[in-house]
Amino acid sequence: MSGQQMLAAFYRWVTAPTLDVSSHSGDVPNMADTASIKVSRSAWWVVFRKELEDLWVGGRGAVLLLLYCVLVGGASLLQVVLSESDMIPPKELVYSTLMLSLTFGVLMNLVLGADSISGERERGTLEALLVTPASRPQIVFGKFLAALTPWPIAFLVTAPYLAVLAQDDPALRLALIWGGLAGTLLAASFTGLGMVVSLWSNANRVSLFVTLTTYLMFYLPTQLPSGAQTGIMGRFFKRVNPLESVGHWLEKIIVNNRNPLEFSTDPRGGGWLWLVSPTVLAALVLGALIISASLLRLEAHPSALPGIAYLQRRRHKPSSKNTR
Amino acid sequence: MKKTNDFRHAGAEREILHAEKLRKFYGEREALQGLSFTLKAGHILGFLGPNGAGKTTAIRIITTILQADSGRYTVDGIDSKFPEKIRTRIGVLPETLGFQKHMTGLECLVFFGRLYGRSAAVARANAEALLKDVGLDHRSRSLVGTYSRGMRQRLGIARALVNDPAVVVLDEPTLGLDPRGQQELLTLVRWIARERNAGVILCSHLLAEVESVCDDVVILSSGQVVASGTVTEVIRRAQRDVIQRNGVRIHVPPTSVADAQRVLHGMPNVLTVTPTGGSTGWLEISLVTLADGTSWEDHRVTNRILEALIRADIPIISVNADGGRLQDVFLQLTDEAIA
Repeated sequence: MSGQQMLAAFYRWVTAPTLDVSSHSGDVPNMADTASIKVSRSAWWVVFRKELEDLWVGGRGAVLLLLYCVLVGGASLLQVVLSESDMIPPKELVYSTLMLSLTFGVLMNLVLGADSISGERERGTLEALLVTPASRPQIVFGKFLAALTPWPIAFLVTAPYLAVLAQDDPALRLALIWGGLAGTLLAASFTGLGMVVSLWSNANRVSLFVTLTTYLMFYLPTQLPSGAQTGIMGRFFKRVNPLESVGHWLEKIIVNNRNPLEFSTDPRGGGWLWLVSPTVLAALVLGALIISASLLRLEAHPSALPGIAYLQRRRHKPSSKNTR
Repeated sequence: MKKTNDFRHAGAEREILHAEKLRKFYGEREALQGLSFTLKAGHILGFLGPNGAGKTTAIRIITTILQADSGRYTVDGIDSKFPEKIRTRIGVLPETLGFQKHMTGLECLVFFGRLYGRSAAVARANAEALLKDVGLDHRSRSLVGTYSRGMRQRLGIARALVNDPAVVVLDEPTLGLDPRGQQELLTLVRWIARERNAGVILCSHLLAEVESVCDDVVILSSGQVVASGTVTEVIRRAQRDVIQRNGVRIHVPPTSVADAQRVLHGMPNVLTVTPTGGSTGWLEISLVTLADGTSWEDHRVTNRILEALIRADIPIISVNADGGRLQDVFLQLTDEAIA
């Protein structure tokens, strides 16, 4: 199947209407009624808009963004102060601020993804949604798109900081282009990861615990001194960790002045190889999300994920299975 | 409230929901043991049962949230094999209500209307009409978070009607409402059945309200149907087959409870006199039961009790003989099933 065919299949899957009255075998009385009810292909858009309002008008997104601004603003100020004493070149300042933006921007997406389904379960708002004819994949797709929105907004907020720190250095342009692309890849991966866990969790605490622990496992190695990750295993772990790989790749481009277009002519493909792990993570997570979306239930099936099942047995006793 | 679906009256009394031998297991436990019932258009069916009886499971199966392990049902002629089609024909008020509190009542209904494929303009017009029907038009632009419990319940009913459903499922709609709120809501439930000609399933613990509003009733206990039929039938059948009348309840002013107890104690054939319902003034009087299961000339004893109270100048607000109400049937049947 070509990429174009796959995209077309995905579009059909997401936008498939859940009701086709005309194709029903004919034993539906009151067609005058049922004919007026047709589920549009754009239920995902309705869900997306409502989620967007919930996120940004409801205030959760704004609070997270405020925290993000405080963190990035504080860190940028600190870097400017340090750069004056340590003579740090602007491109390194841009790189470290971009990494900070990626780290916290992606974290915001992860948290919102982790809250998206289990949060609705906890707040008791999911049942009303599930009894509508909007298909499960449409609901999940709409929520996914909405949970993805903090990253571009956070990146936009960061852009002025980067511009100030760059001091006319061309690193700014590279950071905006490649940082934006790599960040979008990571944001999609981590939003998806949060949502997959959320789909299988009955309690928000469980979903947040699992996703934040996973995130820490990816994040903590990025804080190790460079000398700690040497040798074959060190390089291997660096390449396997999507956060570290993206960081290393951006460092090559922004700090070491490597042209990404040169990567493709590199016989060993050295440069692009750093993007393998984030791409694989994105593919795995989004694949899992697509599969799980059809299995969205009022109460999760924790037995499918043993770790979550264990946590939920400790915190929350599920009362029903085989929910639609 | 206006009449919306006149054409449906042609099909009044037709079966709108038919469930047959629905079974559901949670692990080893059988939560639902072959539930069968029917609901007619324009009728209100009371769904009763103690906690854990299987009511919620049954309702979640009908509303396509849960899948039955065996059995089948049809909603408006649509088989349970097509849950997504069924969702277009049902309206649900879940116990949790599930409103986003930062949305206004109007926005909430428009959102759900759009999920049913209506255009923004149609969904809005429909939402405004529904808000008027449930008496919330004056608060349509207020945030749901500012609504009282009763208003949220009414909004929930409006939401359950956005798709003009054939079957409306109301799970504990009067929960947490004051008596006036309960009455208003029950009027709304009657309106849904009579004017919109929808079949209504009313799940409630308040048996007096079920008795007053429902046409039919299904009593569940431990996943089994222990009684079903019209309310009158169920009470009559239970009176004949199950209930032993051995008591009477008398309502006196709360200030006269002690005097009444003093007068009734020691009367022949009166076993105990117990105040019930806190300080509301209800007295539960149990009578001596004979070996054959009947009580001693109970109507004469009741008359003597009333006579004694009148002589003692104690006002009598009301009198209930045991077994004459749905509550007695429910208590007796569910008690037996548990035993």
